Amino acid sequence: MDKNLITGYFDYNATTPISESVAEQMMSSLTLFCNASSSNSAAQKGKSLISSARTNVSEMLGCSPEQIFFTSGGSEANNWAIKGCLLPHGASPGHVISTTIEHPSVLSTLEYLANSFGFDITYLNPRQDGAIAIEDVRSALRSDTQLISVMYANNETGVIQPVEEISTLAQDRNIKFHTDCVQIIGKKSINLHKLGADFASFSAHKFYGPKGIGGLYIKSPETLEPLIHGGGQEMGLRAGTENLLAIAGLAQASKDCVEEVTKWDTHYKECKHHLIKRLNASPFNVLFNGSTSPDKCVSNTINFSIDGVRGEALSAFLDKKYGIVVSIGSACSNNKSKKLSHVLKSMGYSDERIQGALRVSFGRYTTKENIDHFVDRLEQCALKLLDVSMMDA
Amino acid sequence: MYNDLIVEHFTSPSYVGDIDTPDLEYELGNSVCGDRIRIHVKTTDGFITDIAFRAWGCATSVATADIFCNSVKGQSLEDINKRESQNIASMLGELEPSQYHCLDILKELHSSLLSEIMEGEFDG
Repeated sequence: MDKNLITGYFDYNATTPISESVAEQMMSSLTLFCNASSSNSAAQKGKSLISSARTNVSEMLGCSPEQIFFTSGGSEANNWAIKGCLLPHGASPGHVISTTIEHPSVLSTLEYLANSFGFDITYLNPRQDGAIAIEDVRSALRSDTQLISVMYANNETGVIQPVEEISTLAQDRNIKFHTDCVQIIGKKSINLHKLGADFASFSAHKFYGPKGIGGLYIKSPETLEPLIHGGGQEMGLRAGTENLLAIAGLAQASKDCVEEVTKWDTHYKECKHHLIKRLNASPFNVLFNGSTSPDKCVSNTINFSIDGVRGEALSAFLDKKYGIVVSIGSACSNNKSKKLSHVLKSMGYSDERIQGALRVSFGRYTTKENIDHFVDRLEQCALKLLDVSMMDA
Repeated sequence: MYNDLIVEHFTSPSYVGDIDTPDLEYELGNSVCGDRIRIHVKTTDGFITDIAFRAWGCATSVATADIFCNSVKGQSLEDINKRESQNIASMLGELEPSQYHCLDILKELHSSLLSEIMEGEFDG
């Protein structure tokens, strides 16, 4: 692992580095030469690896191994849950409830189903704290609602959505409920059995596993249509030769998560508390976007704007001058228009505030010293940009 | 993502500020993407003797303003007027598509400078 990169890395919600234990596990699986779907004796090692990985993942998610299906990642899992649930209703498309703050793999899939099949989608806006209100979900319910899809935690603000209440609403009315769990796993312990959701998506590279592997939890696997048809892998629900190397990495990442997520969460809380304290003590007018409350938000994420400073310019400065990596709420697009965060926009913030937004997300390798270094450099860069700025801060 | 020229002018701009009594002051704005640049100019005998800018924009547009100021300071208005658009475009180096809007900003910084002068809105 590149320690220099990690020191200035504050974009763990985009992706996490592969941990040492995951790297070791994957290295030891490199020479595993078999097609796990074959019936020869060499395939047995592959079958065992997959089976043990499924158990590890199920322990992490609080469900049975038979309810876990491997995919290429979160986007495929989101596509699968939504299309697999709704396409059987293609001849009589009904109503779907989702939110304006979902990942593009949810929003684009819903748009496709609306345009191609005529499903009627209600997109709920969050309140200014970043959370969807349960009463808004209740008000949106219709007799023909076929699916509710709401993410567990938002990737930009870290705000946790009321998925338990939504799940109860859905179960009471026999409506399918899908939740995108990509951003909650590795930050808080979850239990899908208790939650009662029908489908839940996850992705290994968000919790120190490799890219290109994730999965879908399906409460009742017989109820979901496959997305990828073919050779009968994954109990006939997801075709394609199993990616053993990536599955080995996911298995180890899941095991680590089960054992250490509480410790990570405590560490993130300390880091977050320290970062907020430092930002509040800075000479700037810092505006926090969305809730920062520990019980309403994952503990590794802070989204804020510095009044009078453009986020794109600030992040470029931090990156180019000091190798510090954060995410931004707005970027220039190819057609001379601004590309504003759809999440912050739907929370009702002004364009200027969104153009100033930075998302800082840290992880298990972040130290208090890293945060001090980050804030020191942030102050230097922001002061310089305020000097350039023609806006009143 | 950002070429070396953009990084240099963005992280260490030389022309940031205001001129107390500018001969010319003009402002460009892109209502769509929100970039804004304000230019202060001092001229003597048809030459740009001092220039400064302030900006609210992306890293590339800040660099663009600084590159523009650097390119016109000490130059005659006559020579600036002779600049061809392809030469102006090459002043920013290689850009990514999301940075192309800064080529328009650079051209507008030139054209606005010259048009304001030609309209005789100041005594240079």
